[in-house]
Formats: sequence, structure tokens, C-alpha cells
Amino acid sequence: MDLGICTREKLAHVRDCKRGSSGVPVKLVTNLFSLDLPQNWQLYQYHVAYVPELESRRLRIALLYSHAEFSNKAKAFDGTILFLSQKLEDKVTELSSETSKGETVKMTITLIMELPASSPICIQVLNIIFKKIFKKLAMYQIGRNFYKPSEPVEIPQHKLSLWPGFAISVSQFESRLQFTADVSYKVLRNETVLEFMTGICQQTGMSCFAQMCEKQLLGLIVLTRYNNKTYRIDDIDWSVKPTHTFQKQDGTEITYVDYYKQQYDITLSDLNQPVLVSLLKSKRNDNTEARMAHLIPELCFITGLTRQATTDFQLMKVVAEKTRLSPLGRQQCLARLADDIQRNKYARFELETWGLHFGCQMSLTGRVLPSEKILMQDHVCQPVSAAEWSKDMRNCKILSARPLNKWLIICSNRDKNVAEDFLHCLRRVGSSMGFNVDYPKNIKVQENPAAFLSALQKHVDPDVQLVMCILPSNQKSYYDSIKKYLNSFCPVPSQCALTRTLNKKQMMMSIATRIAMQMACKLGGELWAVEIPLKSLMVVGIDVCKDEFSKDMVVVGFVASINPRITRWFSRCILQRTTTDVADCLKVFMTGALNKWYKHNHGLPARIVVYRDGVGDGQLKTLIEYEVPQLLSSVTEASSNTSPKLSVIVVRKKCTPRFFTETDRSVQNPPLGTVVDSEATRPEWYDFYLISRAACRGTVSPTHYNVIYDDNGLKPDHMQRLTFKLCHLYYNWPGLISIPAPCQYAHKLTFLVAQSIHKEPSLELSNSLFYL
Amino acid sequence: MGENKECNSMVDNCEEVPTKEVIEFRPPLYKQRYFFVKNLVQQHKPKKVADLGFGDATLIWMLKYHHCIEHLVGVDTYAGSTSQWEISNLSPSVGDYLVPRDLDLTITLYRGSAVQKDSRLVGFDLMTCIELIEHLDSEDLAKFPEVVFGYYSPRIIIISTPNSEFNPLFPASTFRHLDHKFEWNRMQFQTWASDVANLYNYSVEFTGVGSPPAGAEHVGYCTQIGVFQKNEAKATESCISTPEEHVYETVFTTAYPSLQEKKNLLLVLSAEVLRASNSMRLRFIVDPKKKVNGRLVPEDSCVPRYGLIVTDAQRAQIESSPKPYCVGKKFYVPLERLITFPKVNRLVDSVERLRSLLSEALKLNRDQSALQVDLHDHYSRTMLSY
Repeated sequence: MDLGICTREKLAHVRDCKRGSSGVPVKLVTNLFSLDLPQNWQLYQYHVAYVPELESRRLRIALLYSHAEFSNKAKAFDGTILFLSQKLEDKVTELSSETSKGETVKMTITLIMELPASSPICIQVLNIIFKKIFKKLAMYQIGRNFYKPSEPVEIPQHKLSLWPGFAISVSQFESRLQFTADVSYKVLRNETVLEFMTGICQQTGMSCFAQMCEKQLLGLIVLTRYNNKTYRIDDIDWSVKPTHTFQKQDGTEITYVDYYKQQYDITLSDLNQPVLVSLLKSKRNDNTEARMAHLIPELCFITGLTRQATTDFQLMKVVAEKTRLSPLGRQQCLARLADDIQRNKYARFELETWGLHFGCQMSLTGRVLPSEKILMQDHVCQPVSAAEWSKDMRNCKILSARPLNKWLIICSNRDKNVAEDFLHCLRRVGSSMGFNVDYPKNIKVQENPAAFLSALQKHVDPDVQLVMCILPSNQKSYYDSIKKYLNSFCPVPSQCALTRTLNKKQMMMSIATRIAMQMACKLGGELWAVEIPLKSLMVVGIDVCKDEFSKDMVVVGFVASINPRITRWFSRCILQRTTTDVADCLKVFMTGALNKWYKHNHGLPARIVVYRDGVGDGQLKTLIEYEVPQLLSSVTEASSNTSPKLSVIVVRKKCTPRFFTETDRSVQNPPLGTVVDSEATRPEWYDFYLISRAACRGTVSPTHYNVIYDDNGLKPDHMQRLTFKLCHLYYNWPGLISIPAPCQYAHKLTFLVAQSIHKEPSLELSNSLFYL
Repeated sequence: MGENKECNSMVDNCEEVPTKEVIEFRPPLYKQRYFFVKNLVQQHKPKKVADLGFGDATLIWMLKYHHCIEHLVGVDTYAGSTSQWEISNLSPSVGDYLVPRDLDLTITLYRGSAVQKDSRLVGFDLMTCIELIEHLDSEDLAKFPEVVFGYYSPRIIIISTPNSEFNPLFPASTFRHLDHKFEWNRMQFQTWASDVANLYNYSVEFTGVGSPPAGAEHVGYCTQIGVFQKNEAKATESCISTPEEHVYETVFTTAYPSLQEKKNLLLVLSAEVLRASNSMRLRFIVDPKKKVNGRLVPEDSCVPRYGLIVTDAQRAQIESSPKPYCVGKKFYVPLERLITFPKVNRLVDSVERLRSLLSEALKLNRDQSALQVDLHDHYSRTMLSY
């Protein structure tokens, strides 16, 4: 929630107004509901002490609540801290109660603080109140969200259940408290570990059954059917069967079969299943040996989607179809929720006693920024739709491209013809876009990853400009081994394509065009540009993600523009051992980028704007205290006289506000380029929302931008428009994307490293977009 | 009314007083009482169960797992507004939605006293009063039999109470709990219980939990228990028509998903049917096949090798049913074969029923005699081709 972090007060130029001005006003409906409180409403925080002291929280709460003066009052009490919406008569109140044992307990209730509605503590209490209300609406809490198990969406063929629900929060927005609700789905697996194991057995047979089970199951989180707890599978003990005995807490021995029958009236059907082993985290942080829990596969559900499932295109498509909601559908869900809250007796009572009024859905006015022109080599095109302009730039020459003379195509023996057809097409589309492609050396290999790798080792030398591999399947090992070799051991740009893709004859031209553009970029070419009024501006994108294999490693990607036109990029990436997602190496990267800029432009940039993506909830403080100083010190050390001005903007794709435009009796997604910089923003931040990605069937989610540091002092309007311009510059997609291009480049780079190569890519590649 | 938690901790408290030898029960005495109830539930399979004086609802929570119970009710004078523990442990959890119970279950907690009459408690199969009566003062104790035995009149009543003959073995020589109005010896309890049983036409048997230590066998169980069974239970059932009288205040109620609801049945049935057909499909892909009348049929029986089947008899039954087959890219499993799978058979008893249910959830062939699925899925496409 990042409560209480006030960055705006330090930024003089936006202290009074952070709103932009250009563009056409547009009326928007939001998923925010106003929460009105009476004027001068306050929350009273008390401390409750017990004499004699009581261990049990339940008892402490019960004793306090048993007093008549609390029975009908709005209250939140955790056993020590008590919040009331009405002040008690005295600053210190003494009460006494008798326990059922007949013991007299004295309670001293002392007023600590009076809190205004906008204070962070008050907002936390309001969030707790809404959690209570949602539980009363028969919603089921998982994590921070609430779901409706009574109305599941079932996908039996993939053994999935989707629970509809909401991500909810109460926050202080610009002028008032708002309750936000966004529709969310929980994916549940309808499959026990035993069923999963049986499936493996049926697929692979008994020969490597145990090995396959361990490979697929270890590390997964499972949910036990009987007590609703989650465990991580750390091991499988094949020597223990349900008919074996274990020792209960009271020391007696019992078999697993009898235990589950006695305790939960569950009859185990398979007496030969092994047990799953989970190491329990000790609650105390001492070095006592971790306790082990034995779990029965038949009684454990798999949670989340396994890797195998996420690569299943069919499955992911069905899930996307079932969870995708049109703006109208979403709006209906919200209206029903508001209705449920207002009709529920308990919810009404709770809100009333606190003095809260649950208001209506808020509308506000946004602006649609003017559309951008796309600058090609000898042509300026005004796209019909900013969502995609591939048609508009057909037959236009790209800004610059190096000819491709010395290169290789590696394919399997079977795919010889596919490669030839493709090459023909590639040369044709290449020449029309101004990218000359010469004939490659064609290498045919056997159909396995090792054959591809040895062909690379044999044929790739430093003179080779690019290697293209035509992969017979999307088995990850092909891609990973090729990328690993060509990105770090023998740095040469590489292009992979699936046979299946190249076989789509009717789409051949557009596929070849996309691949030609990627190849041109990988050789250091520039595709298109937009008008950038600032003459000496460097933009930077930073993203962070976890390594797929070693979860304690994070991959930090840093991509900076190195020309004023913002068409050429410098890309760096590092793996670092840390448990937080905060980048540690930014100073080195920034200095490297400034050196590169200096080399190309014979001077330093006047301005630097950094977009930081991959920031989790609650990390804002560390970012301000740790990352901004790193960037600043690199910038100030770069020059002895006037150093570049710096702005740092936190980019978040996942934010709860949603915006719709209302058209007669229906709601729709707002137009591309819609900016919201009032009412749904936060008073303590210099922030705005921008919608820069089209959603043809679902609901668009706006991207949230929070300017946490700003020396540049650009007008808010210019900051918004610059951000919008940068969303046009991602060369892997001829259209607008949801975040500024440097962030998307950094994301693509970290993803490649985290998923496939797990090593730092060679520095030699840093001047081209080798990871596209 | 029942303060089970307090009683439980009493046994632990003994450890702090080293003057006399400590008596420690394994499992703890309160668990022994609850397991006594659970065993009785296993034995008699009651549908409607009420716990008078449910205290912290531990017994209710333990009983909710029993499949036979459809109504589970707790009554307690101290039932406050429900706590987090009760909401989270008595409400259905994710597992209860993924594996719905066979029968419905509703759990309701009331605030009220065992000496007040509420018509919603009439007609139960089992009522438990665990460590309850010793908390009643003489006036309430006098009303208690009329309400519980006379008015509620359940089939079985379990009453447990401390056996005062055991008390000398404890360090402190007072009552076991400060709120106890009395503690009876076996004679006192049995006299009271027999009188009540006679008056309301019940028969009673006495037992207990918490065996005395060696050498002190003569004092009897630490907790004495009376199990009351109504005589000629069947006859009275039909003639009950009590006027509605709602005195208790509902503080919590929840309903569990069950197979009685069609959507849940459909879901579980679809899952089992798909699991069975999937196992045969994988077998079919690798087994030898021949072409018969435009259909690709397996040469062998196409019975899944692993899982799903437990006994030879079940295997034989599957083998003798019509085989699955393949036309084009579609794989068909006759409903007559599906119904021979034990887990499918458990849910539906006839092919007709199977057909009418499946036609709502999955794809059947044209004459609705077989389930239709794709021969290849993501797995068989990417993995089996190597």
C-alpha cells in the first residue's frame, strides 16, 4: 500500500497542481466508490491493559466485549489496541470483569491517539472493517482477495475451477476516501496429488515414474483437503505407506489410515501411495531442526498452474476466455457488489455504527492525448489506429538498417524446404523495407537440441553477423541451449523461429515482415521514431524479475537510449543474489550508459528520465532511499559543471482503478491515450494513469505512473505526453504498448535471462536489441 | 454453560502444584470425552446432532467431518458474536468445495440456554451435554430434564459430568472448576440419571473416560458419562407437531456444498468420467489398433494399467464392457464402459442417468451412447511424439 510516503511535497513545481492540460476531455466512470464520513470524524485509538495479565487473546477480547458499553459500539480490537469511532468519556477508563473461573480481571483503557480519517492507521482500520464485511457476504478470503465459491466457473476438461471475486481496498484518493473493487479470478486445481501421480504413471509408465514424480512435484504448493492448510512438497518418501504408523502429539502410535478415519471420517482408497514430506517452518527464529509433516497424496490438492499447464496453449486460452470480462460485464459485477453491500443487514449495521456512508460509483474527467505520428525514413505516417500500424507502414522504409551479408540458417533435415520458402519471402520483404538480406549459409542437422548446438559450435565465428535457427518443436531445451550459447559464450545475435510458424503459408508475408524487423534490430538497426521535442533527452527503463531456477537470484535489466531520437539502445543485465527486488548495480549501469551517450553525441544528455518497473507493494520506500541515490550519484559524478537533470518514475501495470466511458446504456473502454490525473490519484504523490494499450475483447487496465523524483521540472502535461510517446517505440510490436518502450525492453531482456540463459549476456551485444 | 476449555486446562494446571502426584491423561481428558462422542456417532450414524453448551466449538468442529451428519447445531449461553476461529473452522473451506460431501450439512450456532425451549431443537438424533449439568444451579437443573428429555426428546442423549470420587487424587481438594455448582459421585449421578430416564421413557447406560491410576481403581472414571436411549423411538416420531417457538438467537450459520446439488454432482461426475476416459485414451494411443467399419478399435481390452481400479472383479467388469474407439481425431468411450468404473458407478446408478447428466456438461456422440473427447491433447502432442 505504500502508505505515508509523501514524495510530492518535495517537488515544488507540482505542489499546487499536478494536472496536465492538452487533449480532449472525456467523461469516465471508475470502479471507485466514495466512502463518506461525517465532518470532523475521528478514530480513537486506545490501549487496553489487563491485571492480571492474560495470555489468551480470545479471553481478552471476550472480557472487553462482555461490557455493555461496548456491545453496540463500532469497534476493532486485536486484544491490545482498541479502535473506537466514539470517544469514551474519560481519557482513562477502568473496568473489571470476572472470568468463568471466578477470577477478577481489571482492564485499563487508555486513550493514545485521535486520528483523522486520512491517517494511514485509520485507512488500515477501514480495510479491516471491509474485510469483516466481505466475510459476511459469504465471500472467501484467499490472500488479500475475496472470492465467491458459490458461483464457480468450471473447466472440467482441464480440471480447473475458477472462483470469481474481487480485489478490494480502501485508500485515500485525491480529495476523499474511496473503496476500490476490481474483479479477480482465483484459479483452483481440481486434482489431487494422487490423481496427478496416476496421470504421470499412465503417461510415462513405471520405468521412470518415481523420477518424473519428483521432477514435477517437488517445490509445488499443495492444499490439504481436511484442514485447509498449504504445504510445500520438499520430498516424497516412497518407503512410507498409509498403513504405517506414526506418533501423535500425545505420544500414541496410529496408522495413517486409522488417523484420517478417526479424525476426519475419510477412508483412504489407495493403500500403496507414498507420503509427501514437507519441512515445516519453525515459528520461532531459532536453529531448532525443522519439523517434518507427512502428507497423503490422495488428500492434497495441487495449487496454481504447473509449468506444464502454463505451456498448454489450449488450457491458457480457455482460462483467458472464461476470465475475460468486457467493460460492461465488469460494470455489472461492480453494480451487483455495491448492491450486495447495501442490502446486507450486517454490512449496513457495521457501516452505520462506524458512521461510514457507502456512496455511489465515482465518475471523473480524463483527457485523451493527441495521437502521435510515426516517422519512417522518407515518410511520416498517421496511423489509422494507434493500436497497430503495420498496415500503415507497409512499403515504407525503416529508419536505418545494416545489410545482412554473412549469416547462417540452421534447420533440421526435414525442414529444408520450409527454410528455402522462408528465405525467399524474407529477402522480398527485407528489400521493400530497406533491409538488404544476402543469401545465408544453410546448415542442415538432425532433429535434436544437441545437433543444433554442435552445429553452432562448428560454424559460428566472430565474423558471422547473425544466426537463424528453425526449431522443429517448442521444447524449451532447443531455445535455451541456443540462446545460452549465442548470448554469453559466443556473442552473436540469433533469431529463432518454429517450423510450425513458418509453415503457415497464408500468413507468410506478415510473419516474414515481423522476423525481418526483429533481425534488423538485432543488427543495430532503427525501425521508426516519434517526434521528441526535448533535444537532449536520455530515457531509461529498469525491470527486475526472479530467476526461474534459483529463486534467491534476481535479474536486473537496464536499457537506456543513446541518441536524441530515442531509436538506439544500450542494454545491460545482471544476476544478483538478494531476497528483495531492488536493483543494486544501477550506478554502474547508469555510468556505462552516460559514457555510451558521450561517445555517440560528444556531450552528456541534458535530461534523464528513468522508468522503473517491477516494483512490488510496499517497496516504494526502499526505492527512494536506495535506488534514487545510486542513480543521482552516477549522474552528478558524470560531469564537473552542469550534470544532467534526473527524473525517476515508478511504473505499475497492476493497479486497481479501472476506467470506462459511458455510451448510451452501455460502457466501453476509454480511447487510447486517455490520461487521468485527478480524483483517482493520490494527494501525496505526483502521479497519473495512462491508457496506452488496446484490449479488443476484455477491459483495459490503465498503467499507473508515480514520479518519485524530478529535477527536470517538466510540466505535468509534458511528462504525460513524453510517457505516451515512449509507449510507441517498442520495435517488437508495430503499435502502442501498455508501458514505455525502455521498460518493455528491460522486461524482455530480464525475461530471457531469467527463463533461458541464467547468465549475464555478453557486453559485446549491449549495443543492439539482441533479445527481441 | 459448558466451558470445555477451562476444564481442559485444569488438568494442565495440576502440574504447577507438586504437593501430590500429578495425574496426566493421555490423550488429554477433554479429547477423550470428544472421542467418546465421535465413536458413538460412528456407531449410530445420527443425521441431526446438537451440542448443548458448545463452549469454544471444538466438539462441533470435530463432528463436522462425519459424513452421516446433515444438521449440526450448537447452543451456548455465552455464544458471543462469532469469533474468527469459528468462522474459519466451521465454514466450508476450499477442500469442501473441491470435494463436495455426499450429503448436505448445515452448521448453526445459537445463543441460548439448555433450560429454555426452542422448537428448532426438536427431533434430533443425538444431543450431547458435555460437562454441562454441573454448571446449572438447582433451579435450572430441575428444569433441565423437562426441556431436554421431555420437549427436545432426541433419540440419544449423552451427559458427562465430573466424578467427585476421583477428586481426592487431585492436589486441590475443592471443585474442579470455580463455576461448578456441584460435583456428584457415581451414586448421585446414576440415581439422578435413572430417575430422569424412567420419567421420560429412556434407558440409560453408564460409563466414563479418564481411567484412574493403578491402585485407585475403586474411584472409577474421572469423567462419568450417561448414555440415554429413547425407548420405542420409532413410534413417537410421526406424532410430533410442536408449535414453532424461536427463543434462541442465531449467531452463526453455514451450509456446505454437497452432491445433493446437481451442479456439484455434475462437476464431480465430469471429473471422474474425464479421468477414466483419459486413462483409456493414453492406453489407446500406444496400443495396437485395427480398423473396423470406419472405426479404429483397440485389439486389446484397453483397460487402464494404473490407478482407478482396485480389485480384479472391477477389472473384469470393465473388460467385459464395450471398448472405446476412434473416428478421425475424436476418441469415443461408450457410456456402458464408463459406468463400470468404480468412482463413476458410485455417483450414478444407471446408464440413462449418466447420459442425461453428461449431456449437460460434456460432449456425447450423436446417438448419445458414448463420450466424445479429442484423441490428442497438449501432452500427447508434445511428449508422446518423441
